[in-house]
Amino acid sequence: MESQLIDHLFRHHSGKMVSVLTRIFGLEHLEVVEDAVQDTFIKASLIWRNNPPENPEAWLTKAAKNRVLDIFRTLKTEKKHLPNITLGTDAIAINELFLGSEIEDAQLRMIFTACHPDLDSRDRISFALKTVSGFSIKEIASALLTKEDTIKKRLSRARKSIQTSQLKFNIPQGKALPVRLESVMEVLYLIFNEGFHSNKKEKLVRKELCGEAMRLCQMLLKNEHTRSSAVYALFALMCFHSARLDAKINTDNEVLDLKEQDRNQWHFPLVELGNTMMTKAVKNAAFSCYHYEAAIAAEHLRALSFEKTNWNQILEWYEHLNALQPMPSHVLTMAVVCIQNNNLTRAKIYFDQLHPNDFAQRVYLYYGAKADYYTAIKAYKRAIKHIDLALNTVTNQLEKKYLQRKKSSLLKLEQ
Amino acid sequence: MKEFMMIFIGADYADLGLSPEELQNRMGKWFAWGNKMEEAGILRGGNALNPDMRRIVGQNRTVTDLTSAEVKEIVGGYYLVEAQDFDAVEKVAQDFPDYDLGGTVEIREIMVFDK
Repeated sequence: MESQLIDHLFRHHSGKMVSVLTRIFGLEHLEVVEDAVQDTFIKASLIWRNNPPENPEAWLTKAAKNRVLDIFRTLKTEKKHLPNITLGTDAIAINELFLGSEIEDAQLRMIFTACHPDLDSRDRISFALKTVSGFSIKEIASALLTKEDTIKKRLSRARKSIQTSQLKFNIPQGKALPVRLESVMEVLYLIFNEGFHSNKKEKLVRKELCGEAMRLCQMLLKNEHTRSSAVYALFALMCFHSARLDAKINTDNEVLDLKEQDRNQWHFPLVELGNTMMTKAVKNAAFSCYHYEAAIAAEHLRALSFEKTNWNQILEWYEHLNALQPMPSHVLTMAVVCIQNNNLTRAKIYFDQLHPNDFAQRVYLYYGAKADYYTAIKAYKRAIKHIDLALNTVTNQLEKKYLQRKKSSLLKLEQ
Repeated sequence: MKEFMMIFIGADYADLGLSPEELQNRMGKWFAWGNKMEEAGILRGGNALNPDMRRIVGQNRTVTDLTSAEVKEIVGGYYLVEAQDFDAVEKVAQDFPDYDLGGTVEIREIMVFDK
């Protein structure tokens, strides 16, 4: 009995089938398609128990195709508006849609649909994870640390927007393409960050989100129309960050910052891949935010130890990044970099530009950084006051522990 | 050696909203269990059952078509194994993958008729 299946085969195949079937039936039948695909997997999981097929992918594709015709017959009797597919020439056309390159094309269409500006930006991620990546509502909720009900609402709102705007299932062309590509990259970037910055206990969930974002990003790179230097830079950035994923958490499941990470645990093949991607990204002189973010990540990886980090270079990249995309979080980071670099006057200049309100629920990051600043200028009482402010506003348990560790070392310093 | 049937009741995948990933993981556990029994040389057969059922009841042979949603404890499949006694099969049944989904394993001995 052959029992090894490729990891995530079902999940990935689910995304493929939903995309291809949507291409055949149109976005207006998305829900029927999703149900049908789900049925196929339940059937597979029961039938394969005793008798796994020799070629599981072919089996799934064939089952999906049969399901197409099944749904078609059912819908036909319900007199819904449908393209006229018969078993003749159109069925051959359907066969062609299941070829490798066409499957990828359909998936790209789905990604571009998920990132359509008519969809609420918060709904895009959930919708992409559901339709392109084959995540269940439960899995999305757990990955995004959100309630299942919220995800359900987001998905139904996304579907509604698609119906109301009568979106076409395609990859935009001409001038519309670069704009939409921006939005696609943003969604992939957010999915990746959800994984990378999430402090969810299960390391697996984080890795899956990061992996998924990278898989989708590679899909963009494979297609000549969607390939761009910014996409290369985004992929390089993901490689650089992923290389550190395992080192971010110690064996006690505690978050480690760059300073505490065991650099031997960094995954160097990913660093090399990132470098290769970066070389391709800089062939074009126009740099995106992703270029600078990747450059910053690369600079951290280049340092042999935390102490040897080239903070001046990093600060320069951040200045570029903030000029292109002004954000309080960049300014905060620059302040933190200046503290590392012992340039406390400049750190203060950055802090003076910031206000706690800029950071909403992530305000603990601001207070934490200020605590570091006061520690650096040996104003320990104020440092402790700010650590307490951070502790009052942090919700994440791992971050909380991290801050508490900092506080206890501060209390020792104060004595 | 005697023959036993392990009957799997409940834990209908269609009703549980499992994701493709979870379905694949579950299937992996079923594979592993099947392999283990095969390697031990005790597996004599088995099948999974589709959830749709037609029921014929009583004197009047009343016929009803049912789906899993309408049946409280649906039989989802069975395995036939060869074993010394109930205790041995109970041990084998420890690896049934779906206890956490509320599944049940019922062990029954196959009756042998004198020839």
